[in-house]
Amino acid sequence: MDNMISCIEIALKQELLDAQASSLKKKADSYFGIGIESARCINIVTIESGLDGVELDRVKDEILTNPVTQVSSLRPLDIDFDWCIWVGYRPGVKDNAGATAMEVITDVLGKTFGENEGIYTSKRYCLKGETLTRAGVEKLAIELLSNGIIQQFKIFSMDEWDKKIGADVKPAKVILDHIPCFDTICIDSNEMLSKISDERNLALNLRDIPVIREYFLDQKVLDERKEVGLSAPTDVELEYISQARSDHCNHNTFNGIFQYKDVSTDGVIVENSLFKTYIQQPTLALKEEKDWVVSVLWDNAGVGKFDDDNNYVVTSETHNSPSNMEAYGGAITGIVGVYRDPMGTGLGAKLFMGSFGFCVGDVGYDGPLNPPLHPRRLLDGVIEGVKDGGNKSGVPTTFGQTLFDSGYMGKSLVFVTALGIMPTLIQGKPSHEKTTSPGELIIMSGGRVGKDGIHGVTASSESFSENTPAGHVQIGDPYTQKKMHDFLLICRDEGLTSFITDNGGGGLSSSVGESAMLSNGCEVWLDRVPVKYEGLDMWEIWISESQERMTIAVTPANLARFMELSREHEVESTVIGEYTDTGKLHIKYKNETCAYVDMDLLEKGFPSWEFDALWLPPEIRGLVEPVISTPSDFNGLLTRMLARPNICSKEWIFRQYDHEVQGGSVIKPLVGVNHNIPSDASVTRPVLTSKKGLAFSQSLLPWYSKIDTYHMMTCTIDEAVRRIIAVGGSFDHIGGLDNFCWPDIGFDEKKNPDGKFKAAQLVRACRALKDACMAYKIPLLSGKDSMYVDGYLGGQFGERVKVSALGTVQFSATSVLEDISKCVTMDPKVSGDLVYVMGTTADELGASEYYDLFGKTGFNIPKVNFDACKICYKALEKAIDKELVSSSHAVARGGLGIHFSLMTMAGGLGMEINLACLPHFNEGSSTNGFTDEIFLFSESAGRFIVTVAPENKSVFEKLCKGLPVSCVGVVTDDHTCLKIDGRDKKSIVNLSCDALDKAFNKTFGDYI
Amino acid sequence: MKKVKALILTGFGLNCDNETALAFDLAGAQSHRVHINSLISGREKLENYHILAFGGGFSWGDDHGAGVIQALKLKNHIGQDLLSFVEAGKLVIGICNGFQALVNLGLLPGLDTDYTRRSVCITFNDCGNFRDQWVRLTGNGASPCVFSKGIELADYPIRHGEGKVVADPGVIEQLVANNQVVFQYADSKGSPAKGVFPLNPNGAMADIAGLCDPSGRIFGLMPHPEAYNHFTNHPDWTRKKEQFKRRGEKMDTGMTTGIRLFKNGVDYIQDTFF
Repeated sequence: MDNMISCIEIALKQELLDAQASSLKKKADSYFGIGIESARCINIVTIESGLDGVELDRVKDEILTNPVTQVSSLRPLDIDFDWCIWVGYRPGVKDNAGATAMEVITDVLGKTFGENEGIYTSKRYCLKGETLTRAGVEKLAIELLSNGIIQQFKIFSMDEWDKKIGADVKPAKVILDHIPCFDTICIDSNEMLSKISDERNLALNLRDIPVIREYFLDQKVLDERKEVGLSAPTDVELEYISQARSDHCNHNTFNGIFQYKDVSTDGVIVENSLFKTYIQQPTLALKEEKDWVVSVLWDNAGVGKFDDDNNYVVTSETHNSPSNMEAYGGAITGIVGVYRDPMGTGLGAKLFMGSFGFCVGDVGYDGPLNPPLHPRRLLDGVIEGVKDGGNKSGVPTTFGQTLFDSGYMGKSLVFVTALGIMPTLIQGKPSHEKTTSPGELIIMSGGRVGKDGIHGVTASSESFSENTPAGHVQIGDPYTQKKMHDFLLICRDEGLTSFITDNGGGGLSSSVGESAMLSNGCEVWLDRVPVKYEGLDMWEIWISESQERMTIAVTPANLARFMELSREHEVESTVIGEYTDTGKLHIKYKNETCAYVDMDLLEKGFPSWEFDALWLPPEIRGLVEPVISTPSDFNGLLTRMLARPNICSKEWIFRQYDHEVQGGSVIKPLVGVNHNIPSDASVTRPVLTSKKGLAFSQSLLPWYSKIDTYHMMTCTIDEAVRRIIAVGGSFDHIGGLDNFCWPDIGFDEKKNPDGKFKAAQLVRACRALKDACMAYKIPLLSGKDSMYVDGYLGGQFGERVKVSALGTVQFSATSVLEDISKCVTMDPKVSGDLVYVMGTTADELGASEYYDLFGKTGFNIPKVNFDACKICYKALEKAIDKELVSSSHAVARGGLGIHFSLMTMAGGLGMEINLACLPHFNEGSSTNGFTDEIFLFSESAGRFIVTVAPENKSVFEKLCKGLPVSCVGVVTDDHTCLKIDGRDKKSIVNLSCDALDKAFNKTFGDYI
Repeated sequence: MKKVKALILTGFGLNCDNETALAFDLAGAQSHRVHINSLISGREKLENYHILAFGGGFSWGDDHGAGVIQALKLKNHIGQDLLSFVEAGKLVIGICNGFQALVNLGLLPGLDTDYTRRSVCITFNDCGNFRDQWVRLTGNGASPCVFSKGIELADYPIRHGEGKVVADPGVIEQLVANNQVVFQYADSKGSPAKGVFPLNPNGAMADIAGLCDPSGRIFGLMPHPEAYNHFTNHPDWTRKKEQFKRRGEKMDTGMTTGIRLFKNGVDYIQDTFF
């Protein structure tokens, strides 16, 4: 039957408010000053099929049109405009709505879609406005409505519009017209292989090339390969090696050798592996000490004990490079991707929460540099990506942070974190253990394989440039993954699966390659892997990073039941091979061998990467304290501080994220009388029948890297811990996750002249990581590193300027709470309560928000005194456990001034504070010479503000005896102001809740 | 003792099934999470249950209008079973995505006892975005709705991008006149929000947060009562706990307003069928 192309156009009835069009109007105006008088959005569904006219009418009327609100037509809708913008996907980009349309049409009409049939969705926007010009409309198309990497657009004026053919939408289908094959690669010389590596984008490291050649030129290897019909390495094999050796998969930087030299001292310290020394070794030591640590350092996520019957699973990832090119696609793929990690941990966990961290450039930037996406657009996109990915996964997003710094304009950061829960035992066996065995079948479940995502891993291991292949940007599909999640949990509970892992970076190459290490071999039949379209080469199928796929080991005896459940849940599952114990990774395509290498090839003495690290202490870099006298207008100063982007309200982001789904919300991301102040940490009940809860917090303090990354790291960890303690977490159970994002540390005289310094910064951060984790006894349940946070941005004269991010670590902390009914939030609750500050305030304004206001860095960076903090944290934990504290809040970025303000707004009550009463930092030491701005804005670690009922005063003070804890004021309902008296007892701050609130919401308050 | 059996649909992107099942269990029923395809294949029979719950989530990704494909799929395969279930006097509840599915099926509002006509649409929020927020609802004491009996005020979270109830003015008038408007978005004192954002978070006509059919046995609402299954779910619980403590009282940590709504349904079945 001949296929016809039909377009169905659907729009809201004219009298209804078109919210999407309103949002477009608003953004066009506020971002570009382009005035649109009226706008309407039209959804277009393009169908290429053999459906007849009657069937198409049914599709239009019964499926795609809501009779109450919409109008639709098989011809272009006659909607007036001055300009019309059509936007559709490029071929091969995941079209989720197109896929569900096919699913429902198959169901309702019994119509299956053949190879050359399909459904594609697109949109057009009808704009009216007297001042609109083609150039302006084009700007909207390029900078607001489409992204050239995944989308295409057309612009029509009314004159150019043909009412009969409309936007003339063609199916965006992929036609490869290629017969799949594999190549063999010439390895006659190192130079030859290096050249081919560049040409084919293999990203092989120069140091690895001789090892690879030596293997393939080995006579024994050659003899064995001859038997399966191979000689020189195939592209499939080299791609496999490239994936496995990439920095993303192999963590070459963290396993590299560093020659560390501090210019202020003699000698060189050799660091043989930052990972082993500063992450693995302390974590293994702490695992011995902490019996709640169940599984760390090998699986897709770490596992900790939740209660006698359940373990929790946690991991955190970044998805930076893709998000920088296509913010929405990158972020949704990131969150949906990290959600596969708990699903692939042990025998599989059920997801119960997630979080986000966004680090972007200045959203108001109007300077000469041209990042791939303007920070404002990038932020819009990543927010929306995490929204769709998280919400549609049915997982609450309970915590998150958004940071702004010019360094992120080169490459912004998108952190995504996932937590899952699983029964301790599955069919009597520990759920955190898994392995593959010879004879078990290799099954791929979930999505299909396409060209998308190819070379994603190697691209994220390089700095962004105009030559970075754009093809690796994808759009995650939470719908397909949610079906798979539900299906796989049932398989797990029925004991059908013996191993599971996700397909992320490196695709099958990593998931099958790594899981076959356990059985010591595999045979894979690539021709059986379901593909989105024909014509993919073997290597492409093998390394494609197409999303929403898991690799699972199932014994032949369990196969029938596994497949039955798969069909019932409408998840595609395919047997693509078999685990063996031959010691070989053996890949075939239609019975022809296209890869045959030893499983232990990757252990064949590949050389470590080497780095020179040169530390220049801050005093040698000339950092000093700035000379700024004490301000006289603290009211004005404080309101200005509250409006700063890194301090102010980001309520609009949290509101877009479902943080209640699954019904376990205890402490929400926003708290206080008006539910609009960010909480210290979130608390969730992953097991609804238990009174236990899981507390979760994160911290990011990259600014301190300007002075010393050692203290950046300790302060970051301390803040995450403090936040956990503030809500009632247990100091004895704190799990950590480290996510390093660092600029390039490889020295190059021309391209990276400060590489050695950045390498030293990394070493120092790692040392601090270990010191803090050992001091607080935090095992690192999981962690990741993402290097090359640099960008080369085009300037106004055709130059390219390198922009590097500050060394950044997101530290996440988890804790298990015995009794959620004892949790505390940060809002003062009752008038008459006493306000205490716990912890000492020191002269530590270095790299603070306060100095940043004046464009200064300073020198006096906050330093963590672990022993002193520990005692304080335990005291507060005890006070909360005894229910002595009615509110508690960790003092963080911005210092006491900001955090008294947040508490005042959260409580909706007055607070009267006397800075002269602040605790001294130790016996006998003096705070003489400390100014009011030091007290208000110093960011010293280890501090809390708590409120205590008068009747608990003596018990609380007794509990805190000998600690730097003192009563600094009172909560009152006489007024609703924050009143602060300075050191000399004179009033320096007097601001009403309303004034604070107005300042706090000034910057993003009208965002929804 | 005989147990009230509640069926909670699962699959295809639905995601509130676990807590909805828990809510029914806490309300005294025996909950069963059943995959939509199990009903379609006939492996599970609707007639064996007393209450059918369409829960929250993103069925089929909500790509072609929230709840649209779910409604089509069920109508296509078990449309008659659904009508028989309703005719048997049993209960149907739709929450969020489930409410959207019920109006697309036509089970709501069921005007003139026509349970197949789509006369109400739940569409994109006026604010232009997905929104998670606790709302205050005022209950309509005159409504025949089985689930809302005795609930004058309720705080539940909304979490949706498409929650704006829209219908022809005539239909809205009829719904109001029939007391089919079960819950309205309200201010802190319980007076209807009169469309004021964010009290009415989505711009719903007549502040409609929940609707029932004329019999009161089919009920749909946008807010999530199942997400208020424990006292610690409420956004103000820490403050209330402290304030009660100061008065020398203990905060009620028993059955929440969320669970009461399910219990009303369970009690109705017990009274009517057992």
